[in-house]
Amino acid sequence: MKKKLLLFVLSLSMLPAFAGGYRVALQGARMLGMAHAGTAMFTGAEALFFNPAGSAFLQGNVNAAFGLSVVKSTVKYQNAEYLWTAKTQNPLGTPFYAYLTWKHNDRLSFGFALYTPFGSSLKWEEGWAGAHLVNSIKLTAVYFQPTLTWKMNDYVALSAGFIAAWGSVVYNKDLNRFMRNEEGEKTDITLTAKNISSSGYVLSAAFKPADWVSMGVTYRSKVVFRARKGKAEINDAPAFFTHTADAFRASLPMPAELSTGVAVKPFKQLTLAFDYNYTWWSIYESLDIDFANHFPDNRMPKKWQNTSTYRIGAEYAFSENLDLRVGYYSDQSPIPPTYFSPETPTADSDGYTFGFTYRHGRYAFDFAFLYVKGHERTDSYDYYVEGLSAPRFDGTYVSNALVPSFGLQIQL
Amino acid sequence: MKKHILLLLIALALGLGACEPEFSNPIDPDNPDVSAGEADFSTYVAIGNSLTAGYSNGTLYLSGQENSFPKLLADRMKEAGGGIFSLPLLEDDKDNIGGLKIGNTIIIPPRLVIDASEKQVERINREPTQQLDIKPGPYNNMGVPGAKIYHLVYNGYGNIANLPAGRANPYYVRMASSPDASILEDVLAQQPTFFTMWIGNNDVLWYATSGGTGTDQTGNPNVSTYGPNDITDPGLFGALYAQILAALFQQNPQLKGALATIPDVASIPYFTTVPYNPIPLDDATAQALNQAYAQYNGGLQAAYQNGLITQEELAKRTIQFVPGRNAVVIEDEYLTDLTALGLPSIRQATPADLIVLPASGVIGRPAPGNPNLIMGVTKPLGDRWVLVENELAEVRTATHTYNQIIEALADQYNLALVDMAAAMEKLVSGLRLEDNSLYTADYFKGVETLPNLFFSLDGVHPNTKGYVILANEFIKAINSKYGSTLRKYNPGYYDSDIWILPAN
Repeated sequence: MKKKLLLFVLSLSMLPAFAGGYRVALQGARMLGMAHAGTAMFTGAEALFFNPAGSAFLQGNVNAAFGLSVVKSTVKYQNAEYLWTAKTQNPLGTPFYAYLTWKHNDRLSFGFALYTPFGSSLKWEEGWAGAHLVNSIKLTAVYFQPTLTWKMNDYVALSAGFIAAWGSVVYNKDLNRFMRNEEGEKTDITLTAKNISSSGYVLSAAFKPADWVSMGVTYRSKVVFRARKGKAEINDAPAFFTHTADAFRASLPMPAELSTGVAVKPFKQLTLAFDYNYTWWSIYESLDIDFANHFPDNRMPKKWQNTSTYRIGAEYAFSENLDLRVGYYSDQSPIPPTYFSPETPTADSDGYTFGFTYRHGRYAFDFAFLYVKGHERTDSYDYYVEGLSAPRFDGTYVSNALVPSFGLQIQL
Repeated sequence: MKKHILLLLIALALGLGACEPEFSNPIDPDNPDVSAGEADFSTYVAIGNSLTAGYSNGTLYLSGQENSFPKLLADRMKEAGGGIFSLPLLEDDKDNIGGLKIGNTIIIPPRLVIDASEKQVERINREPTQQLDIKPGPYNNMGVPGAKIYHLVYNGYGNIANLPAGRANPYYVRMASSPDASILEDVLAQQPTFFTMWIGNNDVLWYATSGGTGTDQTGNPNVSTYGPNDITDPGLFGALYAQILAALFQQNPQLKGALATIPDVASIPYFTTVPYNPIPLDDATAQALNQAYAQYNGGLQAAYQNGLITQEELAKRTIQFVPGRNAVVIEDEYLTDLTALGLPSIRQATPADLIVLPASGVIGRPAPGNPNLIMGVTKPLGDRWVLVENELAEVRTATHTYNQIIEALADQYNLALVDMAAAMEKLVSGLRLEDNSLYTADYFKGVETLPNLFFSLDGVHPNTKGYVILANEFIKAINSKYGSTLRKYNPGYYDSDIWILPAN
């Protein structure tokens, strides 16, 4: 058995050679092993994210899951005309989740979920050519989601939940392409907005018409973070630059997402899951930073487009204690041509995953590994305004991300 | 077994951690793929004046030299077989203040800055730190601020003994290989394989910037009769230009290079910033002023009735102020001389007259010596403040002839032609670069204009960004002529190097 396992893992480790993207959903180590295709998988408390209604079909009266992912992402940039090259040195991202659901009675169950569905952690090399667009950005969004699930009958469950969200962002960029202080350091601006709260909701339905098939649909609403009291700070300005920027207002939307999924069991040990996610990225029209005083407002048109993500995953019950998983997903970039900015350089990407669950009594340890490769993309951002004109910033980007994910589940 | 799996997973994660995304065609900034084409950049020599030397903000300073277009070109040529490029660096000008001193005497003033407290442009209130130190060349950058075409072949232009008489140039004194060498001799001594030559600007510009106080020497090739602010005879210009090229090509028949044309003076902010009509008046003041000029206007009527001036001149000379913006009153030596009638040769300016930049500090202020008179209103602006229509026409005619000569010679010697005249014309309406950035020929009007600013505070010479754009113009012309692939610069990333001081 050991040998079989080794072969399985090794064969999966070959996948990255073919693999592409770096913006990822990481809301459960168990589901991540099968490409995060969890809308019709009712196998643990992770269902509170993927499909809260699915928690009605869980075994046991109480299910809990918590876990953590470690994201190591890298983006590289080059421009052959000016021989510019740059690489990100992103700090490790650590998205987490914690889920708890229990059955109140045969019909009704409750759930509490805490997770981080959006976030970005990007840091470009100091002095790089795109510094007027971004030096670094750190965005975190935490959702707390209580849900109520009603099991109509043995086949259908419905769920509704409320989302309380907290967001924070720290964004640093150079003021423009050329300004330096007397010591020759580039002038930059840091925008900080912390503890912004907002809210949303989640609705879902789960169907289990037979033992071998299940289906689900989940709609998670948009959550818009509106920073009213952001703090701006200009650093390394030359003496003559007497503009000050202190407070700002800005809003950043977390888009709504609709997920539909189906899972089938062709035979007892094997489960195949398919997910389709549609994300309303078109809400991200523009990043507008309005300063409280006379400092000129900063408008960065985005014009993002809605995207589709396709996920396919497989789970194999290797033994009573061990499930093995593998998956692939294809993720579309929301960014139209000429809007490709290094502050969120997400191209179309491919994600490859594998994972396993090892069970011991009421406990289960989940592990998954994700490799995302962004397709190489040559594009530009044409809407950065400097004085009377909007100089284009163009180049070629490649990216990847490596994400080990760890989880623990408890069933009582 | 659990342990084994964990170890395996950790090893796997670490192994993949080393794996970075790679480009399908990665570039190597340390080994750019650049070709010299048919050109040989091994010894590049730049011939020219202040624009070749890197002069900016009204003087030459160290960082300006290092950002001179020939230095920028040479840096790119280095990627295609170019050799060392030496410059007569002002090494003691550590703070980039510019200017020159002999002993304690300042012979060249330091740079222009903006005094934010006074909201005006002035020389920085610091002494130059650079002595006129003699560092015999020759240098690859043979740009000498102030040089006209005839200075290139003038032995003694670098002799310090000729300085008091004004027959030598302190910058060439510093760099001449010997006191009696000529610039051309110093160029030839380096046996250039590639050269750029941008000369002739001062041959018209000094006349223009002086408000036409000099003489248009067209038709007179005798340089010994020239004053500093004269227009150089185009005939002489052509003969000397051809002589210089002949000498260069005699030495190296394989020589390659680029010649640049002379921009129209009316395209530079020195002449376009101060409007002809900057005098705001209310009704009462306008009427009072009209009263003051009633006698002059009456005299003009009499002169017209006596047939001394045409109706056209009468109309041109009649001074009339109205509520609102008014044209300045100027002296114009091209008017009919009516001094015998006690009538000065004055009139109000028209859009065809160009008021020079320094006049902005003069117009509307009390006249020196008579504080009751207001400059440009009750005291006419002297010749030096205005390039009047006729003077501008002289400058343009000479410039046009020079450019025809340069173009013909570029053609004859099969050299690259950098059409700076055309480039500056574009700049006036806004020069749009490939990346959609825009540069204008406007004068500095505030911090928010810095991104699009081409010129420095002297209104004649480019700022840092401007010189980068000039270098790109040379690169474009050279690449297209010789099939080389010298890389362009992106001016957007260069600080314009305009100094704005809280106080001066």
